[in-house]
Amino acid sequence: MFLQQLVNGLIIGGIYAMIAVGYTMIYGVIQLINFAHGEIYMLGAFFAVTFISFLGLPFFAAFLLSMICCAICGMFLDVLAYRPLRESPRLAALITAIGMSIFLQNLAMIIWGSRQKPFPHGSVPAYFGQIAVTFGGVNLSWFHIFIFSFTLVMMLGLHLTIKKTRWGKAMRAVAQNQTMAALVGINVNRVITYTFALAGALGGAAGILVGAYYNSLYPTMGYVAGVKAFAAAVLGGIGSVPGAMVGGVILGVAEALGAGYLSSLYRDGISYAVMIIVIILIPAGLFGKLIKETKKSM
Amino acid sequence: MGRLRIQQLSRGGKIRIGLLILVLILPLFPFISDYALHIAILIFMYMILALGLNIVPGFNGLLDLGYVGFYGIGAYTSGLLTIHFGLSYWLIIPIAFLNGALWGVLLGAPTLRLTGDYFAIVTFGFSELVVLFLTNEIWLTRGPLGLPGIAPPSIDLSWLGGPKWEFAGEVPYYYLAILMVLVTVFVMYRIQDSRLGRAWFAIRDDEIAAVSCGINLLHYKVIAFAISAAFGAVAGSFFARWVTFLSPDMFKFWESFLVLCMIVLGGMGNIWGVMVGAVVLVSLSEILREILPLLGLPVEVRFLVFGLIMVIMMRFRPAGLMPIPAVAAKMKAGQVKRKPAVATAGSKK
Repeated sequence: MFLQQLVNGLIIGGIYAMIAVGYTMIYGVIQLINFAHGEIYMLGAFFAVTFISFLGLPFFAAFLLSMICCAICGMFLDVLAYRPLRESPRLAALITAIGMSIFLQNLAMIIWGSRQKPFPHGSVPAYFGQIAVTFGGVNLSWFHIFIFSFTLVMMLGLHLTIKKTRWGKAMRAVAQNQTMAALVGINVNRVITYTFALAGALGGAAGILVGAYYNSLYPTMGYVAGVKAFAAAVLGGIGSVPGAMVGGVILGVAEALGAGYLSSLYRDGISYAVMIIVIILIPAGLFGKLIKETKKSM
Repeated sequence: MGRLRIQQLSRGGKIRIGLLILVLILPLFPFISDYALHIAILIFMYMILALGLNIVPGFNGLLDLGYVGFYGIGAYTSGLLTIHFGLSYWLIIPIAFLNGALWGVLLGAPTLRLTGDYFAIVTFGFSELVVLFLTNEIWLTRGPLGLPGIAPPSIDLSWLGGPKWEFAGEVPYYYLAILMVLVTVFVMYRIQDSRLGRAWFAIRDDEIAAVSCGINLLHYKVIAFAISAAFGAVAGSFFARWVTFLSPDMFKFWESFLVLCMIVLGGMGNIWGVMVGAVVLVSLSEILREILPLLGLPVEVRFLVFGLIMVIMMRFRPAGLMPIPAVAAKMKAGQVKRKPAVATAGSKK
């Protein structure tokens, strides 16, 4: 029982981590909480279902295509909504982020309807539901293993991209100092837009995985997941990519165990409570540097 | 002189007094239906909410995403006290006010030392926790079943040998709501022109300068947050006694968003602008509620329009339709140079 909950927590935690790195990367480069990130996650799931049911694509093709679409959505979000506000005070950008989040959520409601939808029957590979491994009374399905390895590969890939590639270096430079980055010839706006694309692709993938895992998607699904992932990012220290990964896993496990042993009614509340407590007690999170209380104009 | 002379009033003042008289005699017109009065009361209630919220983003420059939490606390305070103890509404107003302020202090004191965006997300989490509490603590709130049968307010003069008169229909609520809006506006103007208000504006305009003038940031921010929360709770207490039914669904994030949208549209920090924002958005919301089903769309979709309004306002008129100069200067793109070199958490990966 305990182990099963732990495994469930790890799986969901990995998914939270994938969303959380999106928040953290965007916060890292432009110091903005991108509230609309949860909506990208939701769009990912809906895109996948649409590709499956209208284009008849197999699951993995739809998965990939949907990730690409989410990356493009992320770029559009940045170019249309946030780029014009680069020089504006932070309050303006935050309000825009909330506005975009609500806008996208309701756009999805218009396009796909507000009711819960399942994945089209038979679209998710059948062997996903089969038990792959059993140890100590814990059943692991192929889907568990797929989610787990996929998140692992993504996280590893992301880490290497940021640490080893030229583009990752540019991203780190922009996060440290935009003016200086621009001075040494980095196209700051392009780096920011690509960061949104990367965050969008990861968020979209997370959305598809959750949608297929619970076999239900609805336009407001991004709202709760977004806040939880944000809580994970805060827990890990916002701006820190490894922090977001660890934060996501911790939060997923805490939530699964809390729901299993304390009260399943407050499942969502656990994340909010963790977030509030972390913000109050250790605002820098587990891996973040201490945020200096500087003047954050409006 | 002290005596009010019409000739001495400015043009704006005349317009305002004229508007007030028009609003006061509105229910006397035969073509004003109960539905119209209902919308008017809704507008007044949102005015109180918007004026209350305005203190935090408008006067202090902080984003509060959890305002509906205090509104919900006020509403359930009012509803539960009425059902279980039969308290008079006139007693409940101060209780709701104090309860809202209490929660404002409890939440604000530890979190207002944080930077703005952390504060925003904490308030958001708080309001979600309030909804979860209202949904799950069935012994107290009856959870999703809702809290029905809250008695309407009454004016009881029996202790003077007078009559007892219970509110029925929309008209008494209409006048009560107007009274509450007038009191709120009065309080807001007095605060705005007081030492407290000036301290807030100083914080909004430049925190470092404010600190150097000896303003205790945390102290003033907590006061702002508490007063704002208190007004939210008062609006909630009115709402409970007016609709006589409460359910946790009424206090979801949408409401916070709607009130915030009113402020953004009207002009942050501008008392009149915020009230205009309430009028425009409640009316728009009702119009869309009529139109959307005709187009075969769910009514929730009206928030698409509100979301778009917010994005467009921030892009083109960030200080709102009725901007006040200080905010307008502040919100103008390019005015604020962010210091990228400052060691924020994002500075190192």
